[in-house]
Amino acid sequence: MKVERMDNEAADLKDPASAVWSGLTAENISLAPVPLAAQPTEYIRVSRADQPYGETAEASATAVGSGDQLYVRLEWQDDERPNGEFADAAAVILGSGDNIATLGSDDTPLKLWYWADDRDGALNLSSSGPGVVLKNSGVSVSAAASRDDNRWAVVLSGPAKEVSDSQMGVAIWNGSNDERAGLAAVSGWLSLDMEAS
Amino acid sequence: MNETSEKRQIAWVIDLNKCIGCQTCSVACKVLWTREESEKAQWWCSVNTLPGKGTPKDWEGMGGGFDDAMAPKTGHQPTPADFGGGFDFNHEEVFFGGSAGKVHLEPQAPREGRWAMNWDEDQGAGEWPNSYYFYMPRMCNHCSKPACAEACPSGAMYKNDDGLVVRDEEICSGSRFCMEACPYKKIYFNYERQVAQHCIGCFPRIEKGVAPACVRQCPGRAMFTGWLSEDGPVRDLVMKHKVALPLHGEYGTSPNVYYVPPLSPHPLNEDMSINAEKPRIPPEELEAMFGPEVHDALSRLQAEMDKVREGGSSELMKTLIAYKWQELLGPFTEDPANIIATG
Repeated sequence: MKVERMDNEAADLKDPASAVWSGLTAENISLAPVPLAAQPTEYIRVSRADQPYGETAEASATAVGSGDQLYVRLEWQDDERPNGEFADAAAVILGSGDNIATLGSDDTPLKLWYWADDRDGALNLSSSGPGVVLKNSGVSVSAAASRDDNRWAVVLSGPAKEVSDSQMGVAIWNGSNDERAGLAAVSGWLSLDMEAS
Repeated sequence: MNETSEKRQIAWVIDLNKCIGCQTCSVACKVLWTREESEKAQWWCSVNTLPGKGTPKDWEGMGGGFDDAMAPKTGHQPTPADFGGGFDFNHEEVFFGGSAGKVHLEPQAPREGRWAMNWDEDQGAGEWPNSYYFYMPRMCNHCSKPACAEACPSGAMYKNDDGLVVRDEEICSGSRFCMEACPYKKIYFNYERQVAQHCIGCFPRIEKGVAPACVRQCPGRAMFTGWLSEDGPVRDLVMKHKVALPLHGEYGTSPNVYYVPPLSPHPLNEDMSINAEKPRIPPEELEAMFGPEVHDALSRLQAEMDKVREGGSSELMKTLIAYKWQELLGPFTEDPANIIATG
């Protein structure tokens, strides 16, 4: 996925509805549920055995570098606005290793730039497996979202230096299906072709 | 506190024959632990009238716990509406609105479906003159096999060395699987701080030798606490006299709050004569709560009570009466007024 450079558009890039994004080519992404067997507790494995989750199978992503920041715009279909306990949420996943499908592991935690519809801004999380997250301090990330015609568009942004091995992934939680923690849809790694500044 | 075992277990015994439903335990807990605005609807200790729907409403039908093979059972996460309460009231209108005598204090919430932590207080069951009810304080059971901790993906819920189920709010990710898995539905969610919250057994008091607030403040002398493995009223009532029983032991979590089941007077026949063949509280209802052991426990309690009435002496009755208030506190007899805060 090509990461365009736009060094004078930072303010507009934060807005997922900005025209800046419409001129860029989005990359289609496939997602799959975090495997049931990888869920961290027996309770979750038993209680979700017959309750599908992580069924957001497709999303699109567009990435832009501006200054020292990376902006990632995600968009996906979401037919129902949550009316219960859990919010729609999404994350850009940064890191490396072969455990993105389980949102990291103890040995190889991954970074999550996390947005949820029920909170302002974004969280910078360290994920050591499905639902095993800690807040990272010291790195500022941000998020803005818009919703139109049952589609979410979210821009997550943070320091480009947080990207390792020139790759990123995506996770999506469908709040109306009570998805949270490891009950998510996750992509594989996407190669980032970062243009030099 | 001379017990040094790394994994000792604190327990509570609550005598339902002495609980007067005054909610002093509830309030003692509330003012100590859940005074934030975001904790308004939380009652880590609450007293309900039984038979009744309890708090959260109809909690006994919400699942969780373990099946006979000790596999986790899927549970329902209680919602804010299930817990109810946390109401704002029309104080301004009543006290300053110029309508003295015309409006009354009332929760500012729709009447339809309104609920709170003791909403069905004193309703009970049965028809006059044989209506009946009793009170039951409930809190986290600090289970020996805590379904909440086993369900938690982040390890935020855990058993501490005193056998209390505590939580690390820094680690809690707000996933709320604990609320689904707990069969007693005594875990709340703080929506502002995005963390689960529940009775922590007053562990900072325990560590200083001070009894939990619910026990120390109980005016009915109905609550006991102590180590299960150490001599004292708690151990005696649970293991020696076997009159203190867990609530819904069939949930499989090995709870550590025990209840002395309630005796009741005989019902009256239509001609107002006494029907001496059965107690007014249907034994099958108590069995549904405390298991088949409840029948022996009630028989033992009645026999010991009869013995005292006939002029005899009963160690069990002396223990339950608790002539000395400090006996209720187990080893946690320190006066909180003597504890100097260092934090």
